Amino acid sequence: MSAPDPARSEERLATSPALGGLYARAGLAAARDAVTAPVRRVLGGTGDEPADLPVRTLRLDDLRPDPAHLTAYQHLLGEPAADALPAGYLHVLAFPLTTALLVRPDFPLPALGMVHLSNRVELREPVRLGDRLDIRAWAQDLRPHPTGTQVDLVAEVRRHGAASGSPAAWHGVSTYLARGVRLGDQAGDTARPARERFEAPLPTGRWALDAGVGRRYAAVSGDANPIHLHPLSARALGFPRAIAHGMYTAARALADVGARRGDTYAWDVDFAAPVLLPSTPVVRVAPADDGWDVTAWDARRGRLHLRTRVRPLG
Amino acid sequence: MAPTTSGPHGPETPTTRRAVVVGGNRIPFARAGGAYARVSNLDMLTAALDGLVARFGLQDEVLGEVVAGAVLKHSRDFNMTREAVLGSPLSARTPAYDLQQACATGLEAVVSVANKIRLGQVESGVAGGVDSASDVPIAVSEGLRRTLLTLARAKTVPQRLKAAAALRPGDLKPATPRTDEPRTGLSMGEHQALTTAQWGITREAQDEIALTSHQRLAAAYDAGFFDDLVTPYRGLVRDQNLRADTSLEKLAKLKPAFGTRLDTPATMTAGNSTPLTDGASTVLLASDDWAQAHGLTPLAAVVDAETAAVDFVHGEDGLLMAPVFAVPRLLARQGLTLEDLDYVEIHEAFASTVLTTLAAWEDKEFCVTRLGLDDALGTVDRDRLNVHGSSLAAGHPFAATGGRIVATVATALHRRRAELLAAGEDRPVRALVSVCAAGGLGVAAILEAA
Amino acid sequence: MTSTDRYLDLVNSGVTQKIAKQLGLPRPARLRRAADRRPGAPLVDGPVLVLGDGPDADALAQLLSGTSPDRKGWDLDVRRHAAEGTRFAAVVLALSEVQHPGDLAAPLLALGPVLKTLAPGGRVVSVSRPARPDHAPALAAARQGVDGTVRSVAKELRAGSTANGVVVADDVPVTAPGVLGALRFLLSARSAYVDGQLLAVDSAAGSLPADWDRPLDGRVAVVTGAARGIGAAIAETLARDGATVVAVDVPAAGEALAAVANRVHGTALQLDVTAEDAGARLLEHALTRHGRLDVVVHNAGITRDKLLANMTPDRWEAVLAVNIAAQLRINEALLTSGDLTDAPRIVALASTSGIAGNRGQSNYAASKGGVIGMVQATAPLLAPFGGTANAVAPGFIETDMTARMPTLTRQVARRLSSLQQGGLPVDVAEAVAFLASPPAGGVVGQVLRVCGQNMVGR
Repeated sequence: MSAPDPARSEERLATSPALGGLYARAGLAAARDAVTAPVRRVLGGTGDEPADLPVRTLRLDDLRPDPAHLTAYQHLLGEPAADALPAGYLHVLAFPLTTALLVRPDFPLPALGMVHLSNRVELREPVRLGDRLDIRAWAQDLRPHPTGTQVDLVAEVRRHGAASGSPAAWHGVSTYLARGVRLGDQAGDTARPARERFEAPLPTGRWALDAGVGRRYAAVSGDANPIHLHPLSARALGFPRAIAHGMYTAARALADVGARRGDTYAWDVDFAAPVLLPSTPVVRVAPADDGWDVTAWDARRGRLHLRTRVRPLG
Repeated sequence: MAPTTSGPHGPETPTTRRAVVVGGNRIPFARAGGAYARVSNLDMLTAALDGLVARFGLQDEVLGEVVAGAVLKHSRDFNMTREAVLGSPLSARTPAYDLQQACATGLEAVVSVANKIRLGQVESGVAGGVDSASDVPIAVSEGLRRTLLTLARAKTVPQRLKAAAALRPGDLKPATPRTDEPRTGLSMGEHQALTTAQWGITREAQDEIALTSHQRLAAAYDAGFFDDLVTPYRGLVRDQNLRADTSLEKLAKLKPAFGTRLDTPATMTAGNSTPLTDGASTVLLASDDWAQAHGLTPLAAVVDAETAAVDFVHGEDGLLMAPVFAVPRLLARQGLTLEDLDYVEIHEAFASTVLTTLAAWEDKEFCVTRLGLDDALGTVDRDRLNVHGSSLAAGHPFAATGGRIVATVATALHRRRAELLAAGEDRPVRALVSVCAAGGLGVAAILEAA
Repeated sequence: MTSTDRYLDLVNSGVTQKIAKQLGLPRPARLRRAADRRPGAPLVDGPVLVLGDGPDADALAQLLSGTSPDRKGWDLDVRRHAAEGTRFAAVVLALSEVQHPGDLAAPLLALGPVLKTLAPGGRVVSVSRPARPDHAPALAAARQGVDGTVRSVAKELRAGSTANGVVVADDVPVTAPGVLGALRFLLSARSAYVDGQLLAVDSAAGSLPADWDRPLDGRVAVVTGAARGIGAAIAETLARDGATVVAVDVPAAGEALAAVANRVHGTALQLDVTAEDAGARLLEHALTRHGRLDVVVHNAGITRDKLLANMTPDRWEAVLAVNIAAQLRINEALLTSGDLTDAPRIVALASTSGIAGNRGQSNYAASKGGVIGMVQATAPLLAPFGGTANAVAPGFIETDMTARMPTLTRQVARRLSSLQQGGLPVDVAEAVAFLASPPAGGVVGQVLRVCGQNMVGR
């Protein structure tokens, strides 16, 4: 699954798609409905909704990362302002493309209100400031989930001009869930696995996340989803307060591992309960068999926020 | 002169010789917002130097160098120690530099000066440290700072307007310094709470350490032990934090102060943790020759030192556990064991710091797997531990603590040696000093009665 | 820090000076003090008249004029006769050879007209011999008469002038170091607040300094209670005279003590003098740091005033412990150490209260009277080493202690002396420095009052 299906049609973009209009286009009301009262829809059954994912790869060539933007990202996440691009920053570069896939009319799931379940990233080759980059993104593997339908949004970063069949320097898979949306062939609710009971270990640190964290990450990442920006806009979408970007917390976890992750690494995240802002989740950074586990949770409620695993590659 | 050896190439280079502690001076330590609320780090360091100069008659003396530092430092104090020298009765021709290694600043300054003396680079020097938790620097917010910097770079009016327009009301809120560990976001107390939980240290054991510290410091003051070590300042004659009349009952009544947000057993209170403190200390070091020429009695030689660091960021060890690693290496290099030490000074950042350190050394598995020893390092005799009280009672103005401990223990070593000689016992009398520090740092040193 | 005498300022300047003169109010003068004079200033500001006849008078005249080859450093304009219109700065009454009260007439009557034109801050110093019970009555009368007449002259003088005397034992030549030292001290600006005193020189011991401006060069002095007031002034004055000073005070006074030590380029020793080992620690500090110990000034003292009717044991005992018991214990340690063998000097601070008594100070007076007895009995123990022990008894001195007195009481106390003002700590310090100096070796077991001829006591 690492290389895009050659059969896919490639759509070359001239510039990175602007993200600002996305949420306006999708409409707040629709978004709230998506979050609070998921429409129970069946894909590929009745109506005119497509039952399958569009066979399309979005492609942006010769992207040249901006040093000031990179520095802003690094400072926000607690990364050293090195010339090597953190894996989370490459995610930020690819994000407009994956998002552009979602908002196309032919995308089978509602763009807003999808829940980020997990994220798998491999940084296989160091990418440095000054490197010219080609980015591709596509959606794949529409599949059932106990509470709806999930889909993988895949992005790859290569050095400019590298063949699309060649190994990518950076490969990311973001798994999203559309709650309440059913695949046509899915018979009712799949059995929901019992929620894992979280036993809090001794923490090694704490993140002090103020109310502005969502706005600051939105400014750097371009992901201006209203649920991250302000308590009022978040409330409009059914959250009691603004919530931190999942990828912000995942990137904080990656930064906590620090230089020990090496130049190339795998970075996997599973998101659990969202992080309401402001808050001070505690974290544990601990060596795992072949890397580092970073767990973040709400110490008072004993609720897990996310588990991150960082594993040096080769 | 130092003994010299002829190298195969070039001129003679000095071999090492002894560096001795001749004495020290500090001002009494004050509680934050207390007696020194309105004085600066520079004021306090100068006061400590003034007292040292007076005690040892160093007026107009050109010393080899003065090395000191502060942990919480104003940007205007970029050359603080030199400024203190210029404000003191020392000769203005005495060089100086600032050094900073968090709470180990004072001890590291001692080691630095001692090393230069041992190498024959200087004949004498002062090591010191100062900190104020009252007169802390307050910075403008990051937003205001960036705006001001952009404004300063702006050349045209529109550029300036644009820069100024970037300012947000929230940017006008000042930023006070935080001593939280930058990489973990946890305070030192919270870190120690985790280590305390990890080692299962009880509240009672911590309170006992605190009580002993107060009792011993008070007794030492009453016995005049500090007459040659402390010079009053701003009306303060003894350490303001000292509670000679405290008791286990009083300590037991205090509410837990650290770790309550971490879901750990809450055992650490204001009573068994050091309070924020203001103060300064200095130690006078010299070669034997210099001491003799100035009619000064060497108290103790600085034999050796070892610095260690632990990876607390990745949860490997507790933040303040670095001395646990430094000490066995230091002892091994000197061919010594804990039994060879007449005094053991373990800086009481928290009572539990002392206890977790001792527990680690008594834990065979830890010593074998983590310290690479064949067996547990051993047990420290409590009668030799922090004999004249330590930071829990005296307080802990971060950079000033090393100087306090070294001057105190050097005096104790000198007296103990004299007592033993009077009793016909001629043997080395040694002390171990261990100071933990922010950033997972720890410095240990061995001193021997001169 | 001393309190300021506003009245003294008022009567010495501007309109208020005239008013005071017209009203006949006491008009205390600004005293001639060494500290106010430029370095290298002459001993006195004008000619010196030597009155009296005989070999002693001639010897003294020769000595003061500096014509004697081994008596450098005086170089005064010495006259033997008062000429009309000459404004003398000082008069030396050479009375050591009087045999009969009648012999006093000529020199004293000659002095009379001179007093009218005596320069401000002028000095009258007599040199005489003591009266003893085994003398012929007429001789004793003549000699004792000097005492009375000098004290009376002192009370007659104005404008900061003083009259004092040196009483030289029969077997001591008038040119002995002790006499020269005393004479020089009493003529100089250093004795500004010493008035109406007769200082005995009982032995020919002592030596003349190479440099009269630094008589304590090479000497090491310990001053207790040196953190402030009189003690600080003593430390500074001894250092000015060349001594290396060990400044001692209780640990609680350490900050001020350090400042004093740094000012005088000495060392600070925080020490409670009542500690059992105080003497040993003083000695050890002086010997290890400075190689010797020559001068010990017992200045540390406390007051715990209370009428005896209301006295508590702690008040009594604290005062006695600090003011006399500590001195006795330290002296014993020093004397038995065998380390004080080069003309050592012990100078202790007594008080006019210890001489005349003072209401509410029965404890203090006991201690200060004790000091006087102590130096008298200690002096013989030091004599074999050319050493001395003496006391200085200050009168009303402007210090923090007297600044706390009620205003009216303070103003009255200031005027109760011939100089009509309080002294300064430096005035006491000058007397101490003189007694600590090598020339004062002949002054043994004496009490030198620095009181502006206070009406209290003898």
